[in-house]
Amino acid sequence: MSAIDSDPEQAEIELVNGFGADSLESTPVPHGRRTTKRWSFHNHGKPVLFDKSGGNTKRRLSDIDMVHKEIDPFHISPAQLYSTESGRLFHAGKICIVLCGLPGRGKTHLAVSLTRYLRWLGVKTHSFHLGNYRRAKAEADLDFELFMPRVEDNAFRQNIVGECIDDILHFFENDKGQVAIYDAVNALPEHRLELNDKFAQLNIQALFIESLVTEDQIISKNVEQAARSSPDYKNWDYAKAYKDYSDRIKVLTPYYLEMGDLETKLSYIKFINFGERIELHNSNYGYLIQKVVFYLMNSRIKSGSVFFARCYKNDLDFSFDPPLDSDGDVYAKNLTETILRYMKKQGKPLSLVSDRKDKEALSLDQRHPTAGVDGTSHDSFVVWTSVKQRTIQATKYLSQYTTNIRHRIQLAQKNPGVAFGMTEEEIKKEFPTDYENFVKDPYHHRFSRAESYHDLAIKIEPLILEMERMSGDILIIADETVLRVFYGYLMSCNCYDIPSLNFATDEIIEIKFNAYYNSAKVIPIKDFSSSANALALVSPESL
Amino acid sequence: MPVYSISHVENVRVCVVMVGLPARGKSLIAQKIVRYLSWLSIKSKCFNVGTYRRDLQKAADIGNITADFFDPNNPDGMHFRRQAIDLALQDMMNWFLDENGVVGILDATNSTRDRRNRIVKVLRENLIEPIFLESFCNDQDLVLQNILDVKTTSPDYVGSDLQFATEDFLKRIELYEKNYETMDVSIDANLTFIKLVNVNSQIILNRIESYLESRIVYYVMNLHIKPRSIYLSRHGESEYNLTGQIGGDSNLSERGWRYAKKLPELVLKSLGEENKHTNLTVWTSTLARTQQTSSFLPYKRKLQWKALDELDAGECDGMTYEEIENQFPEDFKARDDNKYEYRYRGGESYRDIVIRLEPIIMELERQENILIITHQAVLRCLYAYFMNVPQEESPWMSIPLHTLIKLEPRAYHTVVSRIKADIPAVSTYKEKGTSQLGEQNNSTSSKSRDIINNSDIVP
Repeated sequence: MSAIDSDPEQAEIELVNGFGADSLESTPVPHGRRTTKRWSFHNHGKPVLFDKSGGNTKRRLSDIDMVHKEIDPFHISPAQLYSTESGRLFHAGKICIVLCGLPGRGKTHLAVSLTRYLRWLGVKTHSFHLGNYRRAKAEADLDFELFMPRVEDNAFRQNIVGECIDDILHFFENDKGQVAIYDAVNALPEHRLELNDKFAQLNIQALFIESLVTEDQIISKNVEQAARSSPDYKNWDYAKAYKDYSDRIKVLTPYYLEMGDLETKLSYIKFINFGERIELHNSNYGYLIQKVVFYLMNSRIKSGSVFFARCYKNDLDFSFDPPLDSDGDVYAKNLTETILRYMKKQGKPLSLVSDRKDKEALSLDQRHPTAGVDGTSHDSFVVWTSVKQRTIQATKYLSQYTTNIRHRIQLAQKNPGVAFGMTEEEIKKEFPTDYENFVKDPYHHRFSRAESYHDLAIKIEPLILEMERMSGDILIIADETVLRVFYGYLMSCNCYDIPSLNFATDEIIEIKFNAYYNSAKVIPIKDFSSSANALALVSPESL
Repeated sequence: MPVYSISHVENVRVCVVMVGLPARGKSLIAQKIVRYLSWLSIKSKCFNVGTYRRDLQKAADIGNITADFFDPNNPDGMHFRRQAIDLALQDMMNWFLDENGVVGILDATNSTRDRRNRIVKVLRENLIEPIFLESFCNDQDLVLQNILDVKTTSPDYVGSDLQFATEDFLKRIELYEKNYETMDVSIDANLTFIKLVNVNSQIILNRIESYLESRIVYYVMNLHIKPRSIYLSRHGESEYNLTGQIGGDSNLSERGWRYAKKLPELVLKSLGEENKHTNLTVWTSTLARTQQTSSFLPYKRKLQWKALDELDAGECDGMTYEEIENQFPEDFKARDDNKYEYRYRGGESYRDIVIRLEPIIMELERQENILIITHQAVLRCLYAYFMNVPQEESPWMSIPLHTLIKLEPRAYHTVVSRIKADIPAVSTYKEKGTSQLGEQNNSTSSKSRDIINNSDIVP
């Protein structure tokens, strides 16, 4: 954390090189040399709470997802309710979540997104991907012999598994780790039972999550994605990568034994078709694991992105709620035009609502969409605004293109309380003690009558899970304070960074979901008002 | 986790259709869901088909019925039962429309696929996709335990001999079992359903498609139906209580220490001779006065929770009500006007407490016998949850010092008993519109206080 304060550029490089898979690929690896970093946070002291710049300087949005960053024992997460001496929360003890499933079943995605959610809650979580250890050790060419579980004397496999497990244990013992997610195929019941015993002896609860897919369509989509973006296939020809990955699955399939009768004593969850069905066995778990299940129920495969638009006249009085003025109207048009053009470029053009054919009434024998639930289909486009006029009216042109516009009360800007409208100097003079506390901890400090960022984070948790549920695109038009917290979740920010994240009115920020990490992108909102015929609303066809 | 208010669920309508044989804890689950959602300000209501059937019987002048009424080959019985469900559904649809209901629960056995399909059609006509919640139980001990509870409280057996009631009820279950079709992952693959097998030892979640549904499931997963007692107590009288100051982290007064010493005895007496070895879990807040109060209890499992700390009065912490009234007259009035929502300057509101208590509620549902030693405002919120006390009333309930409250959740109600320690203490109760402490008998808020003072059984 301290690295970020001293030098943001350096920190970014450090992050990529930290525990991610990408960097391991970039330098040729001499055979047998250990390149994964030994798991340790020992050099870290307590985080620097003081933002040396005084909390006033805007931090450039980093487009690096910190979900793989090592978290130090004193890390405080955005929605963390409290911290403890042991670093562990909810009286839940130590938990190892062991993933099981063939390649192409979205295990890595599951590991990473669970890590993101649990960290957000303040649980010290890290995912350990066996693939990273394998890549670090294997020779340049990946040989799928290496994946075979039953080959006798498979010293290579035993070796990397041992190393990965050692790191997990180290994480629990020395780094106040609470949840380790072990991401590997774990094909055999005897291995799984062995793991369970091993962890039980060390007073670590093992929870197995098996990802099963019964629809070939989902698998081939995953294979495509892996061939395109897996670190295993960096610089590979797509077709070759596709074939290799399919072969890998084919080779492993006969070895893989589904969890079941042999493992009645284990706590396990079957996660089928990415949450279409979830089966819990021996499910008398603790609070924390119930939260995991709760998250699983809300996790969906993402084909869309999240777009953030900072609302026009962001700095208006908290209680003041005027309609948009003429400049605001131009903003609404430009925002709409930018979105329409961008979506078209992505191959997902939005059509006029009036042009859409009425859907035929569904027969009563067919499943109906769940009442009042948005974003279930992969081509949906949902818009959330706050309940303030300046955000609601910003959608007045967009409403011709989507009917899913919802006004959420939780998106209202952070209540500034007594500090509203005051300059920093005035606050310092008027509330010296408050000011001092605010400078020390701008994230948690709550001025009189005000909300803190932490309050916002707790408040928007339902929205975060609803956002996780959505398969398609979602545009959030809200005040900067709220966007910071959303961004903090999606990019796994440290809570000390959130108050100074900077969103500009003339930019849309897009967050794309990937299996291994999320990425952020800036889409400038251009001024289309001078070229009248470019305006979507004048002639939508011209797009 | 945060609280929903109605505006966040403006478009959402959920109908939970219960499924399962009699004595599987369905009504218990249904009522708990309603209680939990109401506590979170989500409008919800349970429609018990049995009640509709009994009303129909009454109207047709049929007295108490026996098991053969539930024989699928009994056309009279079938007629009444069908009519009852139609009426219940109709009422629910009206409730959705007229009262902007969000979660309606249809509490009945709904044990055949045919019956369920009929319900699905009615709901889909109203653009609602149902969620089925099945309690499946083949553990005979659990079933018998449940029957014991139901037969003594079920309105169908009012005035009946216990022996007869048990036998008749078992016969009724047998008749249902003949045609029982459980939810199936392949036949019912297209429906949204939750199947709980032997309480929570195995759970199947199929096509959970909204956030609210996931919240309901999450809650149900944390429930158990084993009999248990929940003891609630405030800390013993504190030094601040004596001076009338609020908040702070003061020590117990001399009388407070006497309460702490007497507490183990009070608990033992309430547990009774046969249960005197029951091992309680003890929860306290992180503040000194609750820990001191727990210090003489012989139980090993003692946990401190930050979430059980007293309402944070912010700038008013350590002040007396009189001082608050003088220094912040507007705030003082605002708090009296809407005590549930009022947030102290730099502090918390009752709603804030509900938010931070939510994880505790989940954990509490999972616990068995437990004693919670906490503070006035927190106890009011916990009590409101267990006893279904509305938000307007809960902040005004009187919960005196030096009194142990025992809650025993049953299938159809929660039994409350209070055990006075007989150690004098000041009153910390503040009436609306005054800064003086103590309870006056002719006050306007006595009605809400009666909830705890007079009714020992709350339906």
